[in-house]
Amino acid sequence: MIRFSNVSLVYPNSTTTVLEDLNIEIAEGELVLVIGPTGSGKSSLLRLINGLVPHHTGGILAGQITVDGISTREVKPGGLAHLIGIVGQNPLNGFVADRVEEELAFAMEAMNLPHDVMRKRMEEVLDLLSLTPLRSRLIATLSGGEQQRVAIASALVMHPKVLVLDEPTSALDPIAAEEVLSILHRLVHDLSLTIVIAEHKLERVIGFADRIVHINGAGETIIGSPEEVMKVSSISPPIVELARVLGLDNLPLTVRGMRRVVQGIRDSLPLSQIPKSIKKVNPVITVENLTVAYSDRSVLNSLNTTIHGGEIVALMGRNGAGKSTLLRSMAGISTISKGSVSVYSNNPATLEGKARREIIGFIPQEPSDLLYGQSVVQECDLADRDNQIPPGTTFAVLNQLVPGINLHAHPRDLSEGQRLGLALSIVFSANPKVLILDEPTRGLDYDAKKSLTKILIEFAAIFDRAVILATHDVELVAELSTRVIFLADGDIVADGPTLEVLLSSPAFAPQVSKVMSPQPWLTVGDVVSALEAGKI
Amino acid sequence: MKDSPLHPLTWWIWSLVIAISVVRVNNTYFALGAITLVAFIVLQLRDDAPWGKSFNWTLKVALWILSIRTFIGISIGVPIPGNVIFTLPRIPVPTWMPGIRIGGEVTAERLSSALSEGVIICAIIVIFGAASSLTSPHRLLRVLPVYIYEFATAVVIATSVLPQLVSSVARIRQAQRLRGQKTKGFTSYRRLAIPLLEESLARSLDLASAMDARGYGTSRIRSRYRPINWRLRDSAIVASAIFVLVLS
Repeated sequence: MIRFSNVSLVYPNSTTTVLEDLNIEIAEGELVLVIGPTGSGKSSLLRLINGLVPHHTGGILAGQITVDGISTREVKPGGLAHLIGIVGQNPLNGFVADRVEEELAFAMEAMNLPHDVMRKRMEEVLDLLSLTPLRSRLIATLSGGEQQRVAIASALVMHPKVLVLDEPTSALDPIAAEEVLSILHRLVHDLSLTIVIAEHKLERVIGFADRIVHINGAGETIIGSPEEVMKVSSISPPIVELARVLGLDNLPLTVRGMRRVVQGIRDSLPLSQIPKSIKKVNPVITVENLTVAYSDRSVLNSLNTTIHGGEIVALMGRNGAGKSTLLRSMAGISTISKGSVSVYSNNPATLEGKARREIIGFIPQEPSDLLYGQSVVQECDLADRDNQIPPGTTFAVLNQLVPGINLHAHPRDLSEGQRLGLALSIVFSANPKVLILDEPTRGLDYDAKKSLTKILIEFAAIFDRAVILATHDVELVAELSTRVIFLADGDIVADGPTLEVLLSSPAFAPQVSKVMSPQPWLTVGDVVSALEAGKI
Repeated sequence: MKDSPLHPLTWWIWSLVIAISVVRVNNTYFALGAITLVAFIVLQLRDDAPWGKSFNWTLKVALWILSIRTFIGISIGVPIPGNVIFTLPRIPVPTWMPGIRIGGEVTAERLSSALSEGVIICAIIVIFGAASSLTSPHRLLRVLPVYIYEFATAVVIATSVLPQLVSSVARIRQAQRLRGQKTKGFTSYRRLAIPLLEESLARSLDLASAMDARGYGTSRIRSRYRPINWRLRDSAIVASAIFVLVLS
């Protein structure tokens, strides 16, 4: 269906080749997963399929790419619209209509399909993605998961033979992600659709993939079955890491397969005790009866909670449950209807300038909002000057977070992980007493997540500081946080130590705990230390 | 309004006709009247969509333009004799530029002519700003004929950039407040401008590539899923503008 023959790609004004001599043939009905570190060119590979690269971006392309026999050299992306549906990384930027129905109809109208065909396909696709209740809603008012579904639907409505998705689940909560992926799975199996998908959260998608293309960022690629690629890949989901640590020869990629293999290990030890959590004593953020309402809709319903120094609190919950609003109230940038928030006995809404930087560090969902310098080095210098710290300090932190960043690169040209790293090091440079992060791991690969985890844990432990983050990433929560607050429809429905909260909900359980239950282990590290303790 | 919106071209045609009459009449009071009327209509009819909020910015921009235009008008150019209100320091110009002066005496006549020219320019900006804040750019795209699709893409991107700018401004300002930066004054605008420009460019490119990827412009004829009809209400609104034009 899709054939890349000897494809090489170089962007203008760039010295590195994104792809070098890539050869792959993707058959009909295959689900191919593209993996690689952030900024390695996964998106470029996907956009090559329908010719958006290089037609829209420029760059030198060598070799030949054909889709269903049509070369992307000869037709513009629009000419392939009936064949390829593409869902971008940020669906909101690609929406061309205001309402769900209009959005779905857009491509059909552009292709001048007759009215009765449109009606039929509209109903089909609305049902397929369970969008019927939303059909006349404004797209801007939908939650992230719903928007993602609309984006997929508007691609599917053309009955394409190929569907290309760029990180379709990175902004979704685990349940919405599962929903989207099971829809994709069904499309592959029922309609023999060919799907190419790029994703960082391998634990979510690897079970569905027929083949994996691993790009390392310097033009090299490894192509093979998930088992083959996982044996050599630098990027791997927790389940594979577990298998490696346990020294297993064949790598089961599903929870089911892994459970069978590790049954002996699981049963060899008596059920571990759940460690008692230490009570924290110094309250840092106090939230009392916090109510936030936007026009007619109530987002948070009189929440009460206290966050202590040294805690790393993960806020979890569905898209639109009020996580961001709670974070923003803590940072003092959301209008509070009732109740109060105090951070180190300050009202966060009144903090300004240096005082604000030293009390609250906030990383917004779009880290680039914080950046306005012309280059990385300029941003770092600004941060050093703002906080009156020795020149170079911010850059040193940055190098620890994301090593090998180009000093003179423009912040916009950085990969998502590098941009987050830059924003984070700027915020760290003021040494804030509380650190708030809104979905920090969107678009981050495992390595970047690991270094983020390490730095946040050190930050919380050494200075006894509080870290609060909203995230959908259960694996991150398992590795990082000490406490989980679970929000649903503006209410706190669960609040407790990470272990208790994650184990009590199967949908939010990390992979290792699914494999190892009933043992209360969340991460590969937990398993290793439990096994070592058992040997003695 | 919400159940059956007007035709997306209605307000654009209306604005165009009103703008023509403003230029034709060339009268300050008429222009001021048009601004008031337009502002009133926008405040009554705009909805909560992002483009609805852009009108306040249009007004701000218009005010800026008026003040800059007036300042240049009174300080540079051919002097008009009359009652002197105040005198600006005069900057000497070379002798081969007779009749032009920079600075010098500012007469009431000079001030009023500069002001009234400025007001007319502002009126036109405000009138088109109103059209863009009353019409969804996405709906506008759907009625523009496909054979000018490259132009139509550009128009839609241009008209959707302004409203997006407004919502981005709020978001970026908030983020920078969180970084402990001042959000008032001239330097704050510079800090704002860079992320803002980049974001709107990136968004425009995203939108253009999304439209392209979905086959916009491949077929010369477009079918309509939900027809957008020109109704009596639309005709009435346009007729009201033409009536103003005829009277003027």
